[in-house]
Amino acid sequence: MSTEVSQVNGDAEAHFAAASEVTEEVTNKDAQVITEAIPSLPSHVVKDLLSIGICVRCILRLFGVRGCTYSCFSPLPLDLHLSIKESKGSHDCTVGNCSKASENLNSAHVFEESEVKSVCCSICLGVLQFAYCNEKEMLVRKDSATEFAVSIAELVKQEGHQIDSFSLEVSVPPIILANERAICLYMKTKYGSEPWFREMFLAEHISVKDALKLSIIDSLEALLAIKYGGSSFRIRLTYTHAKTSLKLQNFLEKDQGCKRRKTGSEDSLDALGSDFSEQSAHEVDAVFRRSLDGLPDHLFCQHFKLPPERVNQPCHLAFLCNRASVYIGGRYLKYSRNVSQSRWIIDDERMGQASVEEIIGSNMLPILRGDNYKFHAAGREDIDVRMLGSGRPFLVEVQNARDFPSSVAVKQMEQKINNLEDRLVAVKNLKVVGNQGWALMREGEAEKQKQYAALVWISHPLEEEDVKTISSFKDMCILQRTPIRVLHRRSPLEREKIIHWMKVERITGSSQYFLLYLCTQAGTYIKEFVHGDFGRTHPSIGSILGCRAEILQLDVTDVKMDCFLTE
Amino acid sequence: MDDSVNNNDTPSASFCVNSSQMERSKEELELRELVVPDVRDLPDTPPSAVESNFVCYFAPDFMKPGHDQYVYRHANGLCVIGLASAHVALKEKGVTAVDFNVGKSNRSEIKVTGKRKRNAQHFEANTALCKVCTNDVPYIVRCCVKGSLLEVNNRLIEQPGLLNSSADREGYIAIIMPRPTDWLKDKNSLLSLEDYKKLRDIC
Repeated sequence: MSTEVSQVNGDAEAHFAAASEVTEEVTNKDAQVITEAIPSLPSHVVKDLLSIGICVRCILRLFGVRGCTYSCFSPLPLDLHLSIKESKGSHDCTVGNCSKASENLNSAHVFEESEVKSVCCSICLGVLQFAYCNEKEMLVRKDSATEFAVSIAELVKQEGHQIDSFSLEVSVPPIILANERAICLYMKTKYGSEPWFREMFLAEHISVKDALKLSIIDSLEALLAIKYGGSSFRIRLTYTHAKTSLKLQNFLEKDQGCKRRKTGSEDSLDALGSDFSEQSAHEVDAVFRRSLDGLPDHLFCQHFKLPPERVNQPCHLAFLCNRASVYIGGRYLKYSRNVSQSRWIIDDERMGQASVEEIIGSNMLPILRGDNYKFHAAGREDIDVRMLGSGRPFLVEVQNARDFPSSVAVKQMEQKINNLEDRLVAVKNLKVVGNQGWALMREGEAEKQKQYAALVWISHPLEEEDVKTISSFKDMCILQRTPIRVLHRRSPLEREKIIHWMKVERITGSSQYFLLYLCTQAGTYIKEFVHGDFGRTHPSIGSILGCRAEILQLDVTDVKMDCFLTE
Repeated sequence: MDDSVNNNDTPSASFCVNSSQMERSKEELELRELVVPDVRDLPDTPPSAVESNFVCYFAPDFMKPGHDQYVYRHANGLCVIGLASAHVALKEKGVTAVDFNVGKSNRSEIKVTGKRKRNAQHFEANTALCKVCTNDVPYIVRCCVKGSLLEVNNRLIEQPGLLNSSADREGYIAIIMPRPTDWLKDKNSLLSLEDYKKLRDIC
């Protein structure tokens, strides 16, 4: 095999010395090899396509070839590949044929390799030739699908995820759609009348994306030792081609006269030129796709050359892999009166000693080796209010966790947080929840009741009658104007709230202090209900007892919600 | 629902307390331990909500002798405006009426909406807020600080007596939101609680 390669290479180089175009002789050789491998293909057409710079796999695609051929060139035994019977007219890719095809295409590919030094496939811009610019702007070319799969697998392994399946997403620049359409129209014009055309060519052919996937999925499965499927771990290959996308941008403007979706002003976009970022290329691509779909053939031919122009630079490939977000739910308790629920920073200074969000999130993250966490809770309490009793439901979203969220890991988290030295926060009933965790938390949040314990002082000694009066109220309606302490950031409204019940507990040794237990509708401001907030909450404890009332401490003792009550 | 309030009592009939009840009682005990305070920690008179959350400023003789007003400023920048205890209108606790119809508009008819406080009118420090009548003698109450008027205490219309009983709380006049730069300027012409007390010889 290797001697063959060097011999062939020598020949190829001699032919390629000066010209950047594919020579007649080489094309003939390639065509011969391909048609020997897949005898049903008309050789004159194959030759023609090769000469206008279409790569081998794109040719196969155009003729409706499917299945394992795309992953051929792999040293792995062929029984790993599915044997696929074709639907309309394209050749039968049975195992026997495949091995012959594989052998022959291997040698054909060597010719192709030297071609690509000067030119990329006119349809797929190098995608199916495994040629691309990597993150470091270096030109990369892989000799086979397997080699490409190896480099992808390496990148995945570097991230160190603990996974049992993977999904593959590929996105390609839509100029490829235009190129494909151009070739199809070209072929229809030139060979439409030939007998094989109807049968072979009008069959639905697989897209560049699907061909790429077909060529590497089996290898990836073997290299990573996991199955393809599911959506928990995603590998994303994004191909972009800034130069052609920029050209398309201009085409869109001039011809269609449509309003460009802005990523910047017109001047700045022209000035960007080579700085045209991958991100904005992506946005432009989506717009182009839509325009192209609406363009009839005769108009299409006016703007796109048939066959399409050659490009010298392959696409830029961005590689990304991550695990879908993992959700961990439970209930938290807050024992400190100096800990806010979420991170609270004003003028570079932190308010309070710590935050529930950070205590819980930062202790979960390293156990799963994630990138980031997001904290969500069902309601909140003030920094100086403790959260006791059954605790408040919360959800932590861990992004791109490297490790699998096992029940062992979850137990670890619970122990770690509950054994922190300063015991500011505790967690209960921690468990992994699916996407429905969201719905569980939001469900009925506004209708749920809350129970509190307040330490209240009044300006005259507590009478027995006062105790009776307070306990007698059932489902009392109060009107609360937006408390002054939140009026700067909330709408000025008057909200009706319900106090379901109240209970007074005397404190031995004090005549003016007592404990007030109450159960209220969600959204009731308890502090304002006690001191009245300049009379803007009415009735209030003060107005009920006919004196001044102040609240010293407040604790939430129960959040009546059904979620995360069990492990 | 009400019964849960009394669940500190032991179950009356049977002595066979099952494990979940014991679990609950244990939780309740823990809760009580956390919630019930130590009496020795409690001050005789705790600071009021106003003292804890607002800084109290005073404008003595604002534009006219004897027209003492207060500006209670919250940490979030909002200012509660009202009549200070030494204001002439409050001298005999004889306030009989409050009228917000002054200047070009009726201040009690403003409708401020939304987080951005749309429709709030921008007033100067000397803009009139309302008229307070004591024995038919009218006294003009002004903003004291430049800013947006968020709210007036329209309860005073029906209950002007609130000014007699608690001018410093339920009898407040209005809530104003000054811009930070405006506040810094206006602040200089106001007195602290200490200085005001000295000035008016109040203990």
